[in-house]
Amino acid sequence: MKIGIFQLNGCDKCFNETYLLDKHINDNSKNEIFRVKNSEVEKWSEKDLDYAVVTGYITLENHEFVQKLSKIAKKVVGYGSCTTTGGIFGLAYQKGYDITPIAKIIPDTTLISGCLGEIEELSEILQGHPIKKSEILCTSCARKSTCEYLDEVTRQIDPQEDVESCFNDFGHLCSGYIANSCKEMCVDYGTACRGCKSSVDRAGFRMLGMFGTLMGNVEVATEATGKGGTDKLADVDDDVTESIPDVTGSFFRFNLANSVLPIGRNQSNGSIMSDIFIGRPIEELPLISGCIGGDHSISFTLDIIQAYEKGLIEDLPVSEKTVELRNNLLSLEKELNSALKASNVESYEKITNQIRKIAGNMNLSNLFFGGFKVPIDDSGDFEGYKKSIFEIREGDYQNGNIKYSLNSKGIVTKFEMEA
Amino acid sequence: MSKEKGKRDVLAFMCAECGQGAAVTAGVARLGYSTSIKIIRVKCSGLVGPIQIMDALKNGADSVAVIGCCFQACHFFNGNFLSMHRIKLMKKLFKEMGYSDQMINHYTARAAEGETAVGDFEDAIERLLVAEKEGGTFA
Ligand code: SF4
Ligand code: SF4
Ligand code: SF4
Repeated sequence: MKIGIFQLNGCDKCFNETYLLDKHINDNSKNEIFRVKNSEVEKWSEKDLDYAVVTGYITLENHEFVQKLSKIAKKVVGYGSCTTTGGIFGLAYQKGYDITPIAKIIPDTTLISGCLGEIEELSEILQGHPIKKSEILCTSCARKSTCEYLDEVTRQIDPQEDVESCFNDFGHLCSGYIANSCKEMCVDYGTACRGCKSSVDRAGFRMLGMFGTLMGNVEVATEATGKGGTDKLADVDDDVTESIPDVTGSFFRFNLANSVLPIGRNQSNGSIMSDIFIGRPIEELPLISGCIGGDHSISFTLDIIQAYEKGLIEDLPVSEKTVELRNNLLSLEKELNSALKASNVESYEKITNQIRKIAGNMNLSNLFFGGFKVPIDDSGDFEGYKKSIFEIREGDYQNGNIKYSLNSKGIVTKFEMEA
Repeated sequence: MSKEKGKRDVLAFMCAECGQGAAVTAGVARLGYSTSIKIIRVKCSGLVGPIQIMDALKNGADSVAVIGCCFQACHFFNGNFLSMHRIKLMKKLFKEMGYSDQMINHYTARAAEGETAVGDFEDAIERLLVAEKEGGTFA
C-alpha cells in the first residue's frame, strides 16, 4: 500500500506522531510511506496513492493541492483538529485568516479530530477498519456532572481541592459535554476539556447555548425599561458577559473556522501567532501554546509561563522542584528533536511517554503558572511543586523570544514572538 | 431564500404565551406592523437558542428577535431569562468577530398590551437598519 503523509501549515505534532504508524500497523514494512513536509509539498509529484493523510491547517493557497490529492489518492484522511476543523489555528479566523476545514474542499474525507490526533485511530483507518464510535467524554471522565445552574464563572480553580465534582460545577467551563472520549484526557490533568474532539456539529454554538442556560443563577437586571414598554436588557453588560471575557476562545477554541459564523472582520495584528493569542485570557495561554507549539511546545509554553512569573516575582513564586521538573521537560524536548531528526521511532515513543509522565499529555495540560496542577508519579510531596491561584495584573511581560501585554482583566492586548 | 431587492426579513420567535398573545391583542386592536416581520410561534422563548438563531441568519433572515413573557412572568419557569442570557453571549460573540450585535435581539411583551409586540417589531427593524448602516451585518 502506498501512503502519503502531508504536513501543510502550523504545528507539526500530528505529522511527527505518524512515525508511530510503524508500531501500530501490522506489517508496516509492506507499506510504502512518503512523508512530505511544508515547502516540499507543492513540488511533490507521485501519481497514485492508496491513502493521502493531511496534517496541519489549510489556507486558501493549499486548496489546489488538497484537490489534487483527492484525484491521486483513493482516500483522503484529515488527521488532527487543525485539518478537520481548523483547530486552534482556526482562532485566527476571527482576524480574517481564511483557514479551511478539509471537508469543505473534499466532502468525503475521513476525519480524525483531536489535538493531538490519535495515532490508534489513524492506524485503524489505514488498515481499512472503521473507527469505533466513541462515547461522550463525560462518561469516561472521573468527575461527575450535575448540570446545576451556576452562580458564577470561575477562571482559575485548584483542581485537587475536589477531584470528584465536574469542573462546570465550579463554574469552570469544561467542554466535555460536546467532546468524545479521548486519549489525551486533559480532564485527568487538572484541565477542563478544551473541546478538541467534538462529538456534535456546530459544537461552539451548542456550548454557548449550554452555558447561557447553565448560567441561569447569575443575577442580571430584569426590571422593565419603560412603562408598558418592552425590555431590551440583553444589550446591557453584566456578570454574564463580563465573567466570560473571551466568548470566541471559550466556546469555539477548536472549531471557529468550522462554525457557521462568517469570517471575522477584525484587523489582523500581522502574524498568525499574534492573531491567535490576542484577545485570550492569560490563564488560557499555556493551554494554547501546549497544543500548537509543534516540536518546541515545551519551550514555547515555558517561555509564556515564565514571562508572567518573572513579572509577578514574589507574588507568583516558583519552587526548586518545579524548576527541576521543568528542566527535565526541556531536556526531553531536545532529545525529542534529535530523535525526530534521526527518524528514530523507538526513541520518539520513549521520549513522548516520558513527556506525558510529567506534563500529563502531549498538550502539556499539567504545566501551569507557579507549578503543576496535579501530582506527578515519583516526584515527592506535591506541595513542593503545586501551582497556586495567581492574581491578574496588567503589564508587559517577556521571556526568551516571547513578549506580551495584558490589560487589567488579564486579556492579551499584544503578542510578539521573535523568529 | 430569494428576496425582493431592499426588502428585509426579521424573524421573530414569539412564545405562545405573552409574546404571541401580545401580537394577537395587536391584531384585535388593528395595530399595523411591517411586512418584514415573519413570526414563528414557539412554546417558550427558552426553547430558542443559538442553533435556531444561526439557522435563521444562515437561511435568509436579516435579523432575529426572540420575544418572551415579561421577567418573573414566564409561564414555565425562567425560559425568558435563560434565552436572554444566551442572546447576551451571542451578542458578545458577534462583536468579538467584528459584526454588529444589533441583528439578534431579545424582548419581552405583555399579552394584554398589543403595542408591546408592535414596539418590539419596530425596535428590531430600527436596530437592523443601524447594523446595516454600520456595515455590520452578515450580508
Ligand atoms: S495543533 Fe494540534 S491538531 Fe494541529 S498539528 Fe498540532 S497537535 Fe495536531
Ligand atoms: S463536563 Fe468535563 S469535568 Fe464535567 S463530567 Fe464532563 S468531562 Fe468531566
Ligand atoms: S480532554 Fe483534551 S484531548 Fe480530550 S477532547 Fe477534551 S481537549 Fe481534547
